[in-house]
Amino acid sequence: MIEVIDLHKRYRGRKVLNGVSFTAEKGQITCLIGINGAGKSTILKAIMGLTPVKSGLIRIDDAPVGPTMYEKVAFVPDHLTTPTGMKLSEGIQFMKDFYVNWNDARANELLKFFKLDRTERVGNLSKGTAAKYSLLLGLSQNTDYILMDEPFSGIDMFSREVIAEVFSTDLIEDRGVLLTTHEIDDMEHLIDQAVLLQNGSVQLAFDCEEMRTTEGKSVIDVMREVYTG
Amino acid sequence: MNEGWTSVVFNNRDPVYLQVVRHFKEQIATGRLKAGQVIPSRRELGALLKINPNTAQKAYKEMEEQRLIITEGNSPSRITDEAEILRTIRSELIESAVEAFVVSVRRIDVPVDELLELVRTKYVEERSRTSQEEGGSSDD
Repeated sequence: MIEVIDLHKRYRGRKVLNGVSFTAEKGQITCLIGINGAGKSTILKAIMGLTPVKSGLIRIDDAPVGPTMYEKVAFVPDHLTTPTGMKLSEGIQFMKDFYVNWNDARANELLKFFKLDRTERVGNLSKGTAAKYSLLLGLSQNTDYILMDEPFSGIDMFSREVIAEVFSTDLIEDRGVLLTTHEIDDMEHLIDQAVLLQNGSVQLAFDCEEMRTTEGKSVIDVMREVYTG
Repeated sequence: MNEGWTSVVFNNRDPVYLQVVRHFKEQIATGRLKAGQVIPSRRELGALLKINPNTAQKAYKEMEEQRLIITEGNSPSRITDEAEILRTIRSELIESAVEAFVVSVRRIDVPVDELLELVRTKYVEERSRTSQEEGGSSDD
């Protein structure tokens, strides 16, 4: 379980995170939802230790975050960090050299699944293709958790469909997935838990199927109440 | 095996796993799934319906509890052989559809004979239209 406890962060005088607390369980897809600037990406970066926070605690399987967690948690940022001059195959080799838990068979499987050309240069990829490649680099690590920052943002609908398919396969089964989005549309049926963020704190966190069972409300219904009510 | 699985459209307000269960019931009631027939694994179902593995798991658990499907040891799950349960599914689906119809038509206060005649005409029309579209494949 990833636990985020009372996270605070200021940036240029603004309270970006103002006491954020939530948990993301293994074997579940948890979605951080919020409009642009709600602090979604900052939270993922904070979990990965990529940005300093003022106060608060992050624990992964009851242990504080540290260098060993990079073999336990994979991060798919919203833009590719692979050097643009590299071929896709070289980018994969690069990851393989860094990560003990790299799963080459899975990387090959995903190259086929996403129909990626391993000889293509990273800098030449379209936005949709870059998102698929980014996901490949994250999913090919045998980690217990995977964080994804806006995996659907700004991508054509066919690429979105292919990416959504990943969420109904064993590629994510048994892992804990924590992803961010500002538009829930394609994801509504796929996510287990929703965490609604506003003004740097969690307004509401709920189990989506439970919400449908007890209140007959879709995730979008709840979002409308929270954000416009 | 993929037939009839890819066309499921989910609404956002009912629990997804119950919509999956309902889909199975419809397939059973219309004879597309038969007594004792092996059904896709949880993982296959997740991929076919594009739902997350937890939801597929939950749907199977629910169907096992309702004794709609049977999973023995490591063999694949299959539709039950119990005729009584299969019969119940059909009448349950018909009843709930009729109930919904009655609720909405009740507000208009139509005499029952007029209503039944209308239902007969419409229903016959609709059936002949859809069976033409499907090429009369409903019996295979």
